[in-house]
Amino acid sequence: MARSFDTLTAAEIAAGIAAGDFSAAEVCTAALDAIAAREPEVQAFLQVTPELAQEAAARIDAARAAGEALGPLAGVPLAIKDNMNLAGTRTTCASRMLENYESPYTATCVARMLAAGCIPVGKANMDEFAFGSSTDSSAFHPTNNPWDTARVPGGSSGGSAAAVAAGMVPLSLGSDTGGSIRQPAALCGVVGMKPTYGAVSRYGVVAFGSSLDQVGPFGRTVADVALAMDALVSGGRDPYDSTAQDVVPGFVAAAASAEDLAGTRIGLVPAFMEAEGLTAEVRAGVERAASALEAAGAELVEVDLPHVDAAIAAYYVIGPAEAFSNLARFDGIRYGYQEPGCANLAQQSALSRAHGFGDEAKRRQMLGAYLLSSGVYDTYYYAAQKARTLITADYTAAFAQVDAILMPATPHAAFRHGEISDPTQMYLSDMYTISLNIAGNGGIVVPVGLGEDTGLPMAAQLVAPAFADERLVTYAAVIERALADAATGAPVLGVAPACAGKGGELA
Amino acid sequence: MRELKEVLEDWEAVIGLEIHTELTTLDTKMFCNCKLTHDDEPNTHVCPVCLGLPGALPVPNRRAIESIVKAGLATNCEIQKHSMFYRKHYFYPDMAKNFQTTQGPVAFCMHGRLDLEVTGRGAEERPACAFGEAEAASLASASAGAVGLSADLSRRADSQPAPTGADACAQNDPAPNDAGGTALAGLSSYDTAALATAERREDGSYTVPIRILRIHMEEDAAKMVHVGGEEGRIGGAAESLIDYNRCGTPLIELVTEPDLRTPEEARLFMEKLRRIFLTLGISDCSMEKGSMRCDGNVSLRRRGDAKLGVKTELKNLNSFKALHDGLAYEICRQAEVLEAGGEIYQETRHWEPSRKRTVVMRTKETADDYRFFPDPDLAPFDLTDEFIAHCAAEIPELPDAKRDRYQRDFGIKRADAEQIAGDPACADFFEEAAAGLAGKAAQTVANLIVNELTGYLNAAGAEVTLETCGIAPAQVASLARLLAEDAISSNQAHEVFTLMAETGDDPAKIVDERGMRQVSDTAALQPIVDAVLARCADQAQQYRDGNQKVLGFLVGQCMRESRGQGNPKLFNELLRASLS
Repeated sequence: MARSFDTLTAAEIAAGIAAGDFSAAEVCTAALDAIAAREPEVQAFLQVTPELAQEAAARIDAARAAGEALGPLAGVPLAIKDNMNLAGTRTTCASRMLENYESPYTATCVARMLAAGCIPVGKANMDEFAFGSSTDSSAFHPTNNPWDTARVPGGSSGGSAAAVAAGMVPLSLGSDTGGSIRQPAALCGVVGMKPTYGAVSRYGVVAFGSSLDQVGPFGRTVADVALAMDALVSGGRDPYDSTAQDVVPGFVAAAASAEDLAGTRIGLVPAFMEAEGLTAEVRAGVERAASALEAAGAELVEVDLPHVDAAIAAYYVIGPAEAFSNLARFDGIRYGYQEPGCANLAQQSALSRAHGFGDEAKRRQMLGAYLLSSGVYDTYYYAAQKARTLITADYTAAFAQVDAILMPATPHAAFRHGEISDPTQMYLSDMYTISLNIAGNGGIVVPVGLGEDTGLPMAAQLVAPAFADERLVTYAAVIERALADAATGAPVLGVAPACAGKGGELA
Repeated sequence: MRELKEVLEDWEAVIGLEIHTELTTLDTKMFCNCKLTHDDEPNTHVCPVCLGLPGALPVPNRRAIESIVKAGLATNCEIQKHSMFYRKHYFYPDMAKNFQTTQGPVAFCMHGRLDLEVTGRGAEERPACAFGEAEAASLASASAGAVGLSADLSRRADSQPAPTGADACAQNDPAPNDAGGTALAGLSSYDTAALATAERREDGSYTVPIRILRIHMEEDAAKMVHVGGEEGRIGGAAESLIDYNRCGTPLIELVTEPDLRTPEEARLFMEKLRRIFLTLGISDCSMEKGSMRCDGNVSLRRRGDAKLGVKTELKNLNSFKALHDGLAYEICRQAEVLEAGGEIYQETRHWEPSRKRTVVMRTKETADDYRFFPDPDLAPFDLTDEFIAHCAAEIPELPDAKRDRYQRDFGIKRADAEQIAGDPACADFFEEAAAGLAGKAAQTVANLIVNELTGYLNAAGAEVTLETCGIAPAQVASLARLLAEDAISSNQAHEVFTLMAETGDDPAKIVDERGMRQVSDTAALQPIVDAVLARCADQAQQYRDGNQKVLGFLVGQCMRESRGQGNPKLFNELLRASLS
């Protein structure tokens, strides 16, 4: 009986290929079919890579035929955020500046997913250079939320989230500098995880804020995200990223251990739950998650993060400062957009940058250039770093009382394209995610059903102490199971209904 | 323009140096695994990291950190256990990321010192008025951190709130950059009170302490060649070529305090530093190839003034001579401008050795804003005591200690000891050749090395080094023995040296085969003396009348008579005896 491949989890695909139920080539074809059928509505991809996907699938089928051991993600289609290098593809960062840029090397995170057996089906859309929360700042096209195509998927990893929510891939990679994995995961109704800073290598991921950026996976189930996490940390500390750490690949085991939470203390931050701008349906969703944890035996405890109000301000100093520095290399000289007909070097750099970058990218770099200039630096950069220390200390103090903190991921459901035009309003929509990038801790977003008012996906966010990321998958799995369909055991949210079953049949 | 010596009577030159040294003896670059090379095809040793490609990240080279710690220990710096890399931003294609990874206010090495011995004619550049109290006042009022990068960083340090204030820093240090600032808080400063001030010795020589502000670690830029422009500049060039092989080469930058007062002191400082770095084995220190580069900052003030003048920065000082002559010219130029009522502008000037002048490269109307901030891709360093001790244990005997030992144990002249000890290969050679010798015998070996060997190597060109020239210490020892035994004259020694270098034979064999051994037999030489005196009766009479100089002529006649084989010293003695 034919069924759409989008009903399968990553774990089921890998198991099915290993068992010979279907081939990697068949899965690959199904994924490419699903993309072809759904992409016109969703526009999650900047580049689809059928040749690379088919080659990878063929290698897996050949390996299986030869009796070789298959990776834990063998044959699982993967979408890759377009700020991650994969040799043989363009890495555009959704910018005119890098429209035709092909990296000669592959990012460590991508290489590790491929080593685990993933087949790369394409590069996912994003806000230009990851500056945004809507994916609308992509220089090429917006991405639509699969649950309501008039709405944004969130950002900046909007393409990665939408591709998973639309059932085009079971797994994708995103990067999170201020919430860029967790916010689109929440808005698209999928699981998204930002590990602790340093858990996953940043080598080969085009930098936005070097002290804030972290790579993580999207999936439709916690178990799939755990599989991806194990793949990302396998092989130990990446010698090419001196900020990377050794992390034991224990995520699959942690997801499977979600049973009794007796003795576990979960924190709730009253100020977060009562914050202005938090919609009732989001709060209700978080409360559903809290109830699920409590039902599993966890104790709910109120904790305070007194300095977290400063997180957005600190972020909009540190982020732009680092972005200014990291994006300085895009000058149109060696690669990237080059303004034609320039008379001298200064003109060529200036005009290439003026015309290669979009508005938000220019806004952040100019802000960063200002914040780092002498005289101004002391006022803002030092203050931001002090705030960073205080916020980190807040989390440390909170984690002396609790094992994890439960909070909203976003104040509201997915908004319409163009609905938030004021940049500062857009920045405020990251109020629940940003402090984690400031502190460095990991966080996971798990769907909790549809909102009563909007009918759109709702989510809860869990935050754990630094390098205690395996806890996140354990607790998220508890929430997922508690809210799952009683009959089928399927997670509360699956593939967005408008996309489900569209193309991608697996014989 | 007036002469330097005359100018320095009226004006005090305040000189600071910024010295960049590539760590050429390492295998790989500062932040990636690319091989360090000198002359390979352009752009063949590059990777995503040193090309600054999107997504690439730096990983620091541990051995480079070891090298800079050694450099700091060898120059009496305090090793800072906690320091960071910073990003210094500027848009220019020689730095692929458009920022250079360098260090911030706290470098791996801070606040060092080298004592310079200034001797001979070079010592005369410092006028008599610049010693003792005047020198102490001068040192105290020369602004610390008034040069280059440090100035930029110290401005930042000044503008920071200083909760711990001056208490945490120097109390007896007049340096304004140490007057506060969180970035430098906790850093101990120079012990200026303990600095000896220069006093002139009877022979005119003096010793002066030169403070070192810092030595920091950074990466070198790519090499650019501008084709078709004037003097290799980018302005007006038809095309510009970039070789990224050099980009990312580990570079250490030493910044002195403006404690130097004459071009000779600057030259000696550079020489001394080069000898130390060569001995440490951290670089080939080639000024010619650019692996050791020096910029000079110089300003003038009237003798006795405390206020510093406006400085200019000199570039293209790529030899010891250029360093000396460039500074000497610039001092005289500034004096001329100031004496004519003109103004010195803060600018970078280019030394043109062929025309013996400096010309403006660029003027600095405003300070560049490099937007320094800590590099978020590189965690702060916390050097352990073990790491520093490991570096210290690897430091060989340094040139000053070696010089003193040679003078003490071998009894050779200090100047020769200094020269030999400054070149590690030469020092090893000397120690082998002079093993077991002392006094006159050791000095003979030293003479042969300083005069004959050095001369031979200089003449042989850059490709021939002490290691590859084929001359063995045993040969030089043998030659020294022949000289000590009076078997050959010092004039003959030169000829034997050349033959020995060419043939590889032992000098004794050369001398014997060619019949060069000089005759030191009185019985054989007396008849020659008698014959010469008989022939040169006039000169003999002149000598007897008190003209001592004529003896040289008579010795020469004897040598001619003996076809160069008679021992000239013996002839001298015999002549004196015969004429008395």
